[in-house]
Amino acid sequence: MRTSCRHLALAGVSAVVAFGLAAVSAPVARAADTTLSVVVADYGTGPADASLKYWQTIADDFHAANPTITVKIQSINWNDFDTKVQTMVQNRQYPDITEGDYFSNYAQEGLLYKVSDVMTDPSNLMPAFTKLGSYGGVQYGMPFTTSSRAFFYNKKLFAQAGIAAPPTTWDELMTDAGKITALGKIGYGMPLGPEEAQAETLLWFLGNDGGYQDADGKYTINSPQNVETMEFMTKLVKAGDTEPNPGTKNRAELLEQFAQGDVGMMNGITTLLPIIKTANKLTDADWGTTAITGKTGPISKTLGVCDFMAAFKGDGTKLDAIKKFIDFTYQDKYQIAFDQEYNLLPGTVSGAAAFSKIDPALAPFMTALPNAVQYPADTAWAQVKTQIQQIIGTAIGPDPKSVLDTIQQTALKGS
Amino acid sequence: MDAAIPAADLAVARSLDEPSVIKRRQWPAHSLIYAGLAYIVAIIFLLPYVEMIIAALRPANQILDRDYVPTHWNFYNFIDIWSTGFGNNLRISLEVAGGSTLLVLLVAVPAAYYTARQRFRGRGAFLLLVLVTQMFQPTAMLVGLYREFLSFGMLDSVAALILVNAGFNMAFAVWILNAYVSAIPIELEEAAFIDGSSRLGALFRITLPLALPGIVTALIFTFIAAWNEFIVALTLTTSPTTEPLTVTLNSYIGQYQVDWSHLFAGSVISTIPVIILFALIEGKVVGGLTAGSIK
Amino acid sequence: MSVSIAEDGAVARTRRRPITIAARLAPLIWVGPALALIIVVVLWPVVIMVHTAFQHISPDGFILGSAGWKNFVYLWQEPDLVPILLRTVIWVATIVIGTMSISLVMAQLFNQKFPGRRAARWALIAPWAASVMMTAIVFRWGLNANNGVINIMLHDLGLLKSFNSDASDWLGTPTSAMVWMIIVAIFVSIPFSTYALLAGLQAIPTDVYEAARVDGAGAWRTYVSITLPLLRPAFIVALLINMMNVFNSFPIIWEMTRGGPGHQTSTTTTFMYQLKQSYIGESAAMSVVNFGLVILIVIVYLRATVWNKEAAS
Repeated sequence: MRTSCRHLALAGVSAVVAFGLAAVSAPVARAADTTLSVVVADYGTGPADASLKYWQTIADDFHAANPTITVKIQSINWNDFDTKVQTMVQNRQYPDITEGDYFSNYAQEGLLYKVSDVMTDPSNLMPAFTKLGSYGGVQYGMPFTTSSRAFFYNKKLFAQAGIAAPPTTWDELMTDAGKITALGKIGYGMPLGPEEAQAETLLWFLGNDGGYQDADGKYTINSPQNVETMEFMTKLVKAGDTEPNPGTKNRAELLEQFAQGDVGMMNGITTLLPIIKTANKLTDADWGTTAITGKTGPISKTLGVCDFMAAFKGDGTKLDAIKKFIDFTYQDKYQIAFDQEYNLLPGTVSGAAAFSKIDPALAPFMTALPNAVQYPADTAWAQVKTQIQQIIGTAIGPDPKSVLDTIQQTALKGS
Repeated sequence: MDAAIPAADLAVARSLDEPSVIKRRQWPAHSLIYAGLAYIVAIIFLLPYVEMIIAALRPANQILDRDYVPTHWNFYNFIDIWSTGFGNNLRISLEVAGGSTLLVLLVAVPAAYYTARQRFRGRGAFLLLVLVTQMFQPTAMLVGLYREFLSFGMLDSVAALILVNAGFNMAFAVWILNAYVSAIPIELEEAAFIDGSSRLGALFRITLPLALPGIVTALIFTFIAAWNEFIVALTLTTSPTTEPLTVTLNSYIGQYQVDWSHLFAGSVISTIPVIILFALIEGKVVGGLTAGSIK
Repeated sequence: MSVSIAEDGAVARTRRRPITIAARLAPLIWVGPALALIIVVVLWPVVIMVHTAFQHISPDGFILGSAGWKNFVYLWQEPDLVPILLRTVIWVATIVIGTMSISLVMAQLFNQKFPGRRAARWALIAPWAASVMMTAIVFRWGLNANNGVINIMLHDLGLLKSFNSDASDWLGTPTSAMVWMIIVAIFVSIPFSTYALLAGLQAIPTDVYEAARVDGAGAWRTYVSITLPLLRPAFIVALLINMMNVFNSFPIIWEMTRGGPGHQTSTTTTFMYQLKQSYIGESAAMSVVNFGLVILIVIVYLRATVWNKEAAS
């Protein structure tokens, strides 16, 4: 009998340990208080410049001004943001506010508040991105931070290779890339790897009057122009004028190589500026930017990218708090602080006006924004994007058309 | 130390610690050949980690240079990484790995002991279940795990990571310990019973000390697995302040930039606790891995 | 308690202890916590996953009702599925065979007596102690087409003509990427297997070898007829654990190629993770197929061990 009691005691200890661990106390808010859960993408490269810091400042300031509202920030590594938000939504664990990618699917499902419900002055949001943030003619996504692309080139390498000016046409680009490759460097950096292939692809398509969609919003991924574009890209790759196997190379890797002076030309983004600075290898005189090269000449358009805030309805009880927080967040000073930290561009009209006075180096990117071409805004895009990221690299090869056909089919199935 | 060693008994582990170097004897020529070969192999196995350290010490403007070592060394990466909350993530990793190890031992020791000593209904089924879970890894069950811990309200908690790591590593521990306890003659325990010991007393005084190498093996196996676990932690944690090291290190691979220096500096640091643990009990691991099952 | 005594008190008294409720519960008490942990952490997620495989789920995760076997049909229709399954078999087979044969040799080497043996053994654990993810990343780094140290070495040896070329871009083409990933997988698997075999070697009684020497058996003969058979239990443990780790291996492929270009370096595990992004139901179906494969391995293992026991007795 004594032994049995001991048995029980031992098992009891194990059980208490096992289940004691399971009992984690959830934070309990006082009845009158509202807690907002805000899920944001992390734009930093590690804990040092984590976006959590930026958001925590806003949350603290906001809490000081509105003591009854507590804001809980969750930040998610950029590369995992889509998946994680998706998982939360799948499990009905809606955040109140997200900042990062915006999915029209969620608007379609009726999960989101209209912008006019959660923001006092929606007209201050950059109008160029209204369509991208809309579903069925109603705006749900609020531009938070934006960026545009430009053609970066390494003047030092150009001088070494005896090239006088940046290329204006595809043929010139190929000639120049060949000369730089002869120096043992990468002539043209073409990131078609899974991370951001959809951007590089679109920039090339634009150079031949192509794109993902026509003016009516119909998908035209396998259009003759696009096929022709892929054929030229294949020619460029086959000639050895790019890094080898672009379908497996990501943007981050090539940006770093550009900053270290190993890449002659590439389509870059404003965030390349601080990378060049940290690398400490190229001086400001060693590199330049110009318009994206098209088939017959520089193209007037560029790709504009925008990350959005969106507000989830949840059980519908937090509307007031959400609206207060969003109005608070969109103050110019916070917009500017964000863009200074990450070298991105504002998402509001007043923010942009204030920012261009502070940081003239980014002014050319900002002027390009209003004409920027954007990604498709429909519900098929999420799947199309994933597929482009995964297989567009295989279009560099003997049969680009069949790869584009496959993606086109996915687009038609989804829309 | 001559021929008198009783062979495959539980003292196997101790023979590893044999202080061979202390004896100033002349090594025969063939042992020097073995030594040469073994050193070459050892160096090959260290090289990737040497390269990791070199990369961590490269200054920013030499990170992509085509040379074996940089012209300047930058030790700062190993210092400023601590100002970023890295210590906090290190602590979380230690809690997760330590907690899982403890939980595994608490749960696996009784189960392994009992299944080794008693025949009871369902014993076969239980052991089969253990064997099957040994084959499963959490990668395939992310969706299910996420939903489950969401419904427990345990997302973003160290406890959830402890439970998962313990759950998926317990099978190995039960397996090894079961084999180990089975190898210990039951007569030893019975002798203790006769002396008036209770079953628990016999367990603690006789069996566990004899099974120590097996316990140590289970311990280090669980610790390393939990320490290095990545994909579950990535799925179940949501912010930089609650995630273990592996996830933190992964976030150095950013959207626009890979912070190689800190990535590698952090990786090197994260290996140190495991190396220390291993150094402490290396000899016992070799003895423990299969000694129990060889009988 | 009284019931059991009334029923067969006499029998009970002849046993060591009377049967009590507590004693009947004893298995549950000793084994219960382990069982609970397995059920909660391992089995329940499996149930959820199997359930998910039969649901129709929109890309953003809304459950639109039952899908029947449709997810499996879609999975079967994936043009990449068959190559991925074949690749998974090759992946597991080459790595396990490679690891086990190299480990046999290495265990033999590290079992010899030589000066500095302990330090050499320590070096061996590095790949085990460092996480697989980190090892994969450092290999990716070393294989970089522009400045990877492996390419620098090959260049200095005159084996590589130029950087940033196809020849230097090991991870860019499927075949060479697979070869390198297999090398990395073998590299990280060797420490555990070698240590397991080393333990097995040390457990072999020395008098067996003395008997062999007396019989005049040569070194190779001794190895084949004595060492190998006695090493079998350790070998099977190492083999099985190795096989499961390799089959479920995620970080190596994920960090080195993400399964690309296209899906040309994916195995079933990474493919399942990629499907999860857009096709949750299909991804769950892939998981279920994966489980089928795992169960198959278990059955093969059980047969092997039964055979082993029969052979031993």
